[in-house]
Amino acid sequence: MLVNIKIFWKLSGFFLITILLFLLIIHNTSDLLNLNLTESILKNIFQFIFILVLAIAVSAGFAWLFVRYFINRPLSRLVDGMNNLADKEFDFRLSEDEKDEFGLLSASFNDMASMLSSSVIELKKNRDYLSSILESSADIIITVSASGKIQMINTGAEAALGYRRFDIVGKPIKLLFADVKERDKAIDKLKYADSVVNFETQFKTKDGEIRDVLLTLSRLRNPTGGIIGTIGISKDITEEKRLQTQLLQSQRYAAIGQVFTGIQHSMKNMLNALKGGAYMVKIGLAKDKRTMLEEGWEIVQEGIDSLTEMSMDMLRYVKEYKPKLDQVDLSDALSEIYRVISKTAGDKGISLDLNISSELPKVMCDARMIHSVIMDIVSNAIDACAWKNYNGVEKPHVSMRAYPDKNNEDFIIEIKDNGIGMTEEVKSNIFNPFFSTKSRAGTGLGLSISARMIGVHGGEIEVESKPDRGAMFKIVLPLNGPGKNKETSNGQKSYGS
Amino acid sequence: MARKVMVVDDDEKTVKFLTAALEENGYEAISAYNGKDGLEMIQNEKPDLAILDVMMPKKTGFVLFKQLRRDENLKNMPIIMLTGVAEVLEDLDAGSGDTHERPFDSLREAMRKSINEMREEGLVKPDMFIDKPIDPELVIEKVRELIGS
Repeated sequence: MLVNIKIFWKLSGFFLITILLFLLIIHNTSDLLNLNLTESILKNIFQFIFILVLAIAVSAGFAWLFVRYFINRPLSRLVDGMNNLADKEFDFRLSEDEKDEFGLLSASFNDMASMLSSSVIELKKNRDYLSSILESSADIIITVSASGKIQMINTGAEAALGYRRFDIVGKPIKLLFADVKERDKAIDKLKYADSVVNFETQFKTKDGEIRDVLLTLSRLRNPTGGIIGTIGISKDITEEKRLQTQLLQSQRYAAIGQVFTGIQHSMKNMLNALKGGAYMVKIGLAKDKRTMLEEGWEIVQEGIDSLTEMSMDMLRYVKEYKPKLDQVDLSDALSEIYRVISKTAGDKGISLDLNISSELPKVMCDARMIHSVIMDIVSNAIDACAWKNYNGVEKPHVSMRAYPDKNNEDFIIEIKDNGIGMTEEVKSNIFNPFFSTKSRAGTGLGLSISARMIGVHGGEIEVESKPDRGAMFKIVLPLNGPGKNKETSNGQKSYGS
Repeated sequence: MARKVMVVDDDEKTVKFLTAALEENGYEAISAYNGKDGLEMIQNEKPDLAILDVMMPKKTGFVLFKQLRRDENLKNMPIIMLTGVAEVLEDLDAGSGDTHERPFDSLREAMRKSINEMREEGLVKPDMFIDKPIDPELVIEKVRELIGS
């Protein structure tokens, strides 16, 4: 086992053989050489050589013992230690009792061993930490070799895809894709970047079930930059997608339901008029009552008018709104509306006033659209007053005001009433198509059309109201028209009070 | 003497053809266009039956109904309400308030609330609900059932 021992024996043997040869030569050649060596001299030589051999043998023995105890033993302990380290027994330590170089060597061996041991512990800790991250992640984490074979899958992947590690490691990754071309598509994207983020695709589970996933794919490179494969981290979004679809669908149904309810409500009132009018026409004809016939026919015609109006409103609602812009003096429109409305308002005992300064700036807008919006909101204000039960000194009143805002950027038309006002719920719904609080008047489309008309002007309608405390509508129009930097909005805004 | 029927509805057309139909069938018809005037007129004229719309200005039909039912002199007067509330009533009788829930149906919600309040107060339910569009002949038939010709 130990080289130095073998060398020792070889050396000792060599010395002995040399001495024996020397003795033999002297013994046989002394006569030939005619050396006059006397018996006593020879005897002395042999005696000397014998003592020499003995001395060599004894010192060889001592040397052997020395080597055996002071070199061989510690050295073999060192070799054992090395072997232990090689066998990954990092806890192995040597005794440091010797005060010689071996002692020093053992000490530095021990130092090396404990350094090695702590770095191995550190490495193991890091490895455990990393693998626990991989393992505890609910995401699907899969590494794939450069040749497209699965190398590692985590628990998350096992759970989501139904495969066990041993089923799948070594198999082609394409197996997991619902559509095999998808994998190539994702890999294609890696040509331009080292990772593809949130690639939406589908995996197929062991049972053939399709799972929607968001895949983030990154190249794995070795320290010299060579590609050794890919790591894919995928999030199972099947449930999210299902809920999203469900939500969209239910929102769509709700919206359709709202529209149908609104149309049904409007139609019910129109049909009511038609049915009643038809009844009067029938009686008028049967009993030859001309007044009854005429009144009935009038009701029928009003019903037809309402239906026509509703169908026009519906058409107006769905069509695209393209304002014909011009510099318009809106005080003309306001004065005209005031003239038309104050008569009907007066009949219902509601006072109306208009407050505009003589020098209003012109507004870049579609005069016809703005006229119809103001008309709609003022009519609503009149209705809101007609519905309220006024007590005491308060009298039904609607006021209209128009003025440019402080910064001279917007033109504001304010319509304020002291009518029934609105609850939060009503206020948040007034711009929705077919929402109406009035049992028969209108189609419930008025304000939603108005909001869109103001929206295409880059403006908005602001609403402030509280139940029984009246309402204030503010039409805010940019003085210079929609403008390029101003996105057209949905044109609606409401405030708490 | 002709039996007297009160019609309270803010829709002129409905008032017009209902009074025409009532008069045509031998009833005396009186009318008002809002809940406030309706109550006054009913208290003064003491009709044999009242037909009330639900959504009306200045006092809804249900508020008016409650006031009439609380009035000692008027609480036995038959009342027909012009609304499709039968479904809501069925829900309430069945003890479930949510089976016919539809989004944004605030009118139904208001009705349900009113009817609940009526029940809590122990007020007698309206004698009849007739949904719009109203068939005048059906109204006459029901009036006849409740108060005779």
